[in-house]
Amino acid sequence: MYTLLFKSFFRTKIFLVSLMLLITVGTVSILIGKQYLVKQEKTIVAAQEFQKESVKRILKYNDKDIGLLLYYLKFTLVKKPANISAISIGQSDVNPLLQAVTIRGLEGQKYDTDFGNPSLLMSGNLDLGFVIIYLFPLVLIAMTFNLYSEEKELGTWRILAAQTSKKGKFLFNKLIVRILFVFAIFVFLMFLASGILQIPMNQNFWAIFFHSLLYLLFWSALCLFTVSLLKNSSFNALALISIWVVLTILFPAVVNNYVINKYQVPEALDAMVEQRDGYHEKWDLEKNATMAGFYEAYPQFNNYPVPEDRFSWIWYYGMQHMGDLAAKETSTEMVEKVKLRNVISEKIALFVPTMHAQLSFNSLAGTDMVSHLNFLKALTQFHERLRVDFYPRIFDKNPSDSVDWSNHKAKFYTLKNNFSWIYIMLPTILITMLITVFGLFNLRKL
Amino acid sequence: MRKNVIYLLAQQLCMDAIRSKVMGIASILMVFLLSFSVYSGWENYHDQNNTRDVIQGEVQESWENNPDKHPHRMAHYGSFAIRIKHILSVFDLGMENFVGNAVFLEAHKQNTVNFSEASMSTGLLRFGEVSLAMLLKVIVPLLIFYLGFATIARERENGTLKLLIGQGITRREIVFGKWLGLWSLSLLFLFTVFIVLLFFVVIESHDVMQAESPFRYTILLVSYILFFGILSAITILVSAFSKTAKGALVKLLGIWLLFVIIVPKSLQAIGYYLYPTPSKIEMETAVEHDLIKQGDSHNPDDPHFKAIKDSVLLANNVEKVADLPFNYGGFIMAKGEALSTKVYLEHQEKLYDVYNKQNNLERYSAFVNPYTAIKNLSMALSGTDFKSFLHFKGKAEAYRFKLAQEMNRLQMDLIPNKGKAGPNTISGDYWKKFPPFEYNFLSTTKVFKNEMISILALFLWGVLGVLGLLRLSTNLKAI
Repeated sequence: MYTLLFKSFFRTKIFLVSLMLLITVGTVSILIGKQYLVKQEKTIVAAQEFQKESVKRILKYNDKDIGLLLYYLKFTLVKKPANISAISIGQSDVNPLLQAVTIRGLEGQKYDTDFGNPSLLMSGNLDLGFVIIYLFPLVLIAMTFNLYSEEKELGTWRILAAQTSKKGKFLFNKLIVRILFVFAIFVFLMFLASGILQIPMNQNFWAIFFHSLLYLLFWSALCLFTVSLLKNSSFNALALISIWVVLTILFPAVVNNYVINKYQVPEALDAMVEQRDGYHEKWDLEKNATMAGFYEAYPQFNNYPVPEDRFSWIWYYGMQHMGDLAAKETSTEMVEKVKLRNVISEKIALFVPTMHAQLSFNSLAGTDMVSHLNFLKALTQFHERLRVDFYPRIFDKNPSDSVDWSNHKAKFYTLKNNFSWIYIMLPTILITMLITVFGLFNLRKL
Repeated sequence: MRKNVIYLLAQQLCMDAIRSKVMGIASILMVFLLSFSVYSGWENYHDQNNTRDVIQGEVQESWENNPDKHPHRMAHYGSFAIRIKHILSVFDLGMENFVGNAVFLEAHKQNTVNFSEASMSTGLLRFGEVSLAMLLKVIVPLLIFYLGFATIARERENGTLKLLIGQGITRREIVFGKWLGLWSLSLLFLFTVFIVLLFFVVIESHDVMQAESPFRYTILLVSYILFFGILSAITILVSAFSKTAKGALVKLLGIWLLFVIIVPKSLQAIGYYLYPTPSKIEMETAVEHDLIKQGDSHNPDDPHFKAIKDSVLLANNVEKVADLPFNYGGFIMAKGEALSTKVYLEHQEKLYDVYNKQNNLERYSAFVNPYTAIKNLSMALSGTDFKSFLHFKGKAEAYRFKLAQEMNRLQMDLIPNKGKAGPNTISGDYWKKFPPFEYNFLSTTKVFKNEMISILALFLWGVLGVLGLLRLSTNLKAI
């Protein structure tokens, strides 16, 4: 019976259109992912080159004064790119891939953005994640909305009904054929992506793989349920497209607006001003106003003298650090707010498979908000290590060549990524099961 | 064509639609979404602008309260430019949340505009945002299709179309009556939104900065009326040329998906694919490279700066820079600032050219996709398009340049050269004399110029729609 169902399905126009659409757009999305990775590579090479060249150039004219040298020198920390991020580019186009910072105040450098075309940022990336979350459901809808109603409207249903006693089973099998077809395309695209983008088949890859399958099952269940209501084709098309619009556009957008408005982040602007003022006002104050705070933060430098009547690097870098300290509290509040936005979004997403899919794809691909915040945290530590390492050299007026500058290449930060299979899979499994049960129950009455 | 027949047909279509279930559900949904977007749009506009206004004020205050000091320290103290939202951003969020909001302005350096809402958001942002314009651009078109797909197709299936023609109603009257009916129906949603919006435009009309918003509002209204007319015409045409109502619906849904979701996004992605852009570090490296080629200010023996020095010494007829009648350090920094700014802006211009190329693919698609036309036009008029952002950025950069050069000038005029007697600081009164950063929106004339293509496309679509309907009036099949 399945052979026959497959055969008749393969002869439909919608089969060919869907096949073409998904394969084309899917391949395009993988190529876009490839381009994204190539651009990352290029940026990293440029950053490494930049670091090497600038050390050489700046060293040439500032070899006498290491304090001045380090005023100019930038040190780069790069998020180690993971190829899986090409599947779900997420927020990584908004947040920079790397940050090159001097050992002066970090707060004013930390949030510098990369260039991006806002039109593109707004329309979002056409990555494989998008194809899975938006287009696959549409194809499922297009193939199943008239599963029953078409037979009814063409009059073939009566012939069929006369020939079999298991009408519900027949419809169910027809649906299975279509779902299997969609699954086949999905599996093909995933392996194509894994090949072209050289994604290692690790836990994260399989988590995205199985979550996507589950997500497609969720939409299949919705289609099954709609079909099981036995309404006419127009009703089904209307209802399913409306559900699609609500789940992939309206509801997430409403939640997003709500979260953005409810948890506004004026702290971002405040911290920016506090850092500048915290640093600059020190120029006009007693040296002690700077040094007291600096010695408290770094008691190991207590015994370095600070001349009261003239400029000294210890005072200068102390002032720079005071700027960061002045903004610290507000800056921490800002991070907490952003985290809160994420927590609330994730909680609501548990009930909405589309949102849950998007957020967990991003998180598995390391392109979510949390990954970037972790990078910023690592950047802060990186900056601190550099400072603590360089401070005594500056304060002791070491010659510039006492440092082995070849050690100061661009450094990489590897994203840590822990996830729980249950957290990712369970919500969608439960919702899918619930809808399937209702759908099957309706079909039994047929 | 008899007017009263057309009105009657239009009225009948409206009444039928209003009684239908779709309309019931749609209205409830629209009321909810409308209230939500009004609430979130206004809150966002109001709160954010308040915060930004306060901070911009604080920035100016702290600038003015600086004590006497060396002017170059003030050039490094710098200032901030904070972007203010246009009142019509309550209507159309556009790129509002994807562009930065604040930039630190200091000597020697063009900083990025940071703290975009997107950089502080979760992945949900990519699902889009709800705004009044989003309802009109995305949701109402779908409703028009829902409400209108059956108009002619079903009448023909039921045989009532034949009856109408039999009763002496001309095909043209039927086509235009239905069109007018569907159009009026869609205007119901449009006017509701615009009446609410009018309220906001009026309460902000006292603000000089927003002075042009009533004019922008009117143009927006006219554009959307035209857009809905085009959509209604498309619906009627598809319905008339489809064998069954079901066929018409499926086609219209396909058109909606293509026009609103798939084509704009794909074209934007293809544009990005075709025209790659440099990352920030690549561009900064290129800028630095170009600068060093012209003259390396770090190099004490650099020929470019040496030549400047020699010519200045010659012109003033002195031997040493210390004997110059002005501060030489300030003079050199002014030269350096002018040079580096020029080089930076050249590179930035090139970058924006590439962005334009990336975007043009989608922009020109307005001639095949009316949604793109209204999308771009609506953003531009609401002050939330890329050009509006660039306008802000340009203003901020100009202010930064002015600030740095003013401080250099003060240094030249008032600070003695190295080795000469005299004060190393100048009075704090000079800071108070420097005017604060003031921002104004892009002029509406400029907006028109930027959006010529969208306006032209929308207009052509309008003509095409009417032509289509006229043609349909002659060969509408009754059976």
